[in-house]
Amino acid sequence: MSERTYLQAISDGLREEMRADERVLCLGEDVGDFGGAFKVTDGFLEEFGEQRVMDTPLAESGIVGTAIGAAVVGMRPVCEMQFADFIACGFDQLVNVAGKMHFRQGLAVPITVRLPSGGGFSGGPFHSQNPEAWFMHAPGIKVVAPATAEDAKGLLIAAIRDPNPVCFLEHKHLYRRVKGEVAAGTYETPMAARVARPGEDLVVIAYGAMVHTALEATEDLGGARVEVLDLRSLVPLDEAAILDSVRRCSKVVVLDEANRTCAAGAEVASLIAERGFEDLDGPVVRLSTPDVPIPFSPPLEQAVLPSVDRVKEACSELLDY
Amino acid sequence: MNSSTTETVAVTMPQMGVSVAEGTVVEWRKRVGDWVQADETICEISTDKIDSEVPAPATGRVTEILVEVGATVPVETVLARIDTAAAPGEPHADEHVEAEADAAAAPEPRPRRYSPVVQRIAAEHGIDLDAVPGTGRGGRVRKQDVLAAVEAHAGNGEPPMHIESPYRPQPAPEGAPDPAPAPEAEGDPRSRMRRAIGEHMLRSLRTAAHCTTIVEADFSAVEAGRSTLGLTYLPIVARCVIDALREFPALNATFEGDRLVRHTDVNLGVAVSLGDEDGLIVPVIQQAQLVSAEGLGRRIVDLAHRARAGELTNDEVTGGTFTITNPGAFGAIAATPIINQPQVAILDLEAVVKRAVVVTDERGADAVAIRPMANLCMSWDHRAVDGALAAQFLSAVRRNVEGWR
Repeated sequence: MSERTYLQAISDGLREEMRADERVLCLGEDVGDFGGAFKVTDGFLEEFGEQRVMDTPLAESGIVGTAIGAAVVGMRPVCEMQFADFIACGFDQLVNVAGKMHFRQGLAVPITVRLPSGGGFSGGPFHSQNPEAWFMHAPGIKVVAPATAEDAKGLLIAAIRDPNPVCFLEHKHLYRRVKGEVAAGTYETPMAARVARPGEDLVVIAYGAMVHTALEATEDLGGARVEVLDLRSLVPLDEAAILDSVRRCSKVVVLDEANRTCAAGAEVASLIAERGFEDLDGPVVRLSTPDVPIPFSPPLEQAVLPSVDRVKEACSELLDY
Repeated sequence: MNSSTTETVAVTMPQMGVSVAEGTVVEWRKRVGDWVQADETICEISTDKIDSEVPAPATGRVTEILVEVGATVPVETVLARIDTAAAPGEPHADEHVEAEADAAAAPEPRPRRYSPVVQRIAAEHGIDLDAVPGTGRGGRVRKQDVLAAVEAHAGNGEPPMHIESPYRPQPAPEGAPDPAPAPEAEGDPRSRMRRAIGEHMLRSLRTAAHCTTIVEADFSAVEAGRSTLGLTYLPIVARCVIDALREFPALNATFEGDRLVRHTDVNLGVAVSLGDEDGLIVPVIQQAQLVSAEGLGRRIVDLAHRARAGELTNDEVTGGTFTITNPGAFGAIAATPIINQPQVAILDLEAVVKRAVVVTDERGADAVAIRPMANLCMSWDHRAVDGALAAQFLSAVRRNVEGWR
């Protein structure tokens, strides 16, 4: 065990899995010489060589398409998008080719697409998005979103080993802010939810960076015992864990950083309405970013992203209901 | 108003049950000069058993109100008069036309609505939600409120009859001065009920030749049966009593004047405490001989809840042919209950306690064993039966209890 940042944990996971399994390779813009836009693959080129650490042109459809071909012939490629926003250019390859391959041809596509996502650092509309719901809506693709260093490493390894295409949402805002004890060696984190803090008066359901917002906001709410459920995986969605939390707490705030309409939180809220109805003691409250692009302006960006204060207010309001 | 065509109809204190002789006017909904539709509530009354509304017997204008709020008057007393020849359009000095507008301006408190989880928990535990105080916004009953009610309910282990009423008055608003001590008002429902109970009990003592017989019964079989059925002792004992009453119909009887009438149906009264000081009411399970022990258990819980919520109808508190009371939940071991007139006997189920008793095995060998025992105390009326029959009846109840399966 050693203390690692979220970013180091991702780097470690990738490196250790590449050492453990020679089928694993990584490709993307500037992942080689430069070591990746956020330095996740720093030193990889020296260690693994250019056969396994491939710099690509600025062409996301090419990156994903190449990875699909390699995966079909037995490789375990890990694609890096410099920013999750850019996956839009690789959308057709990911959604229509990778996602449907198993159903059309019976071929597994074990690719992992790393998606540095999220806002909070004045990156503006092209560098701050949370596109997970695009892929939740497309059959055949798994979607995971770790919140801690330990889970970042374990989920990345689980994603690489999974026979399906997996979108790995790594939150940029957590890269250097979140640290934690991370086990050495390779291990897999299950694609299932985890109770980040147990409670019984209310549950905040979140994933990624919002788990930390939820924990901070509900640390001291007049003695209320607030549970925080970290989904970790959006596809598959851990329905049992969600319904279990609802059963115990009966009041629910669903929090996500993505734009509100059809976000992951909408799916969670719908599940609760349908299958947790008899356990509810109040309306299911959703907090998310309104349906606007993320502004460059720092105060405007802070105004649209769900803040600790907004979560506090919503939780207090619902606790009093 | 054209007085030459005046025709009046009297509004009278209704007969709310055979044993109810008087009623108290609690509130007038109409004033003199008001227009009233037939069957519209004209006033609210209260008897020693239930509260009720008096519907207007005819459409017309209220011309006289003869009994003031708080006054207690005999049944059939004229309370008010309605002029049925009046027309609604005719102006009247006092006409109280804004009744509808008033209702819109100051709406009745919103009916309480409950969230799914609150309703589910209440249904699972038989909680009467109307009696649960809410701590949520606007007095909303939250999950923790209903859970607290469940806990209060369960805290007593084997209660459900003589436990304290779950009803709590609304707390006084914060900062409000302490409410003045309630005056000994005539209309105070609690004192009226106490007074009614007192009168009823004294009349019974004066009327019946009371005698009390006690048998002791081994509750081992009931103890075993009740846990599998999820019942308390009371419904099982009630079922044993009903069966015994079918064997001894002389005790399933009422006096009607000097005549003793035996009844085919067992209409079983079950005494329900309304709380420490709020008195006692005896809801009646009609045709209880048709109901199983499980059914009796459910009916008793339902009647008790509604009794405490003040929702019993007149039919549910009258017509009893035999009564059971069960203060044993508080640990008493013997009592001499007073007969509920005009019935001829009342059975008192006392606490089930473990006692060392001598038991005889099938080969005739005696041994001391620890058994759950309870006293069944029955007061009976010597005008109706004699001690031998009372003892035979109680032995039959004991046989049914000890052989319960």
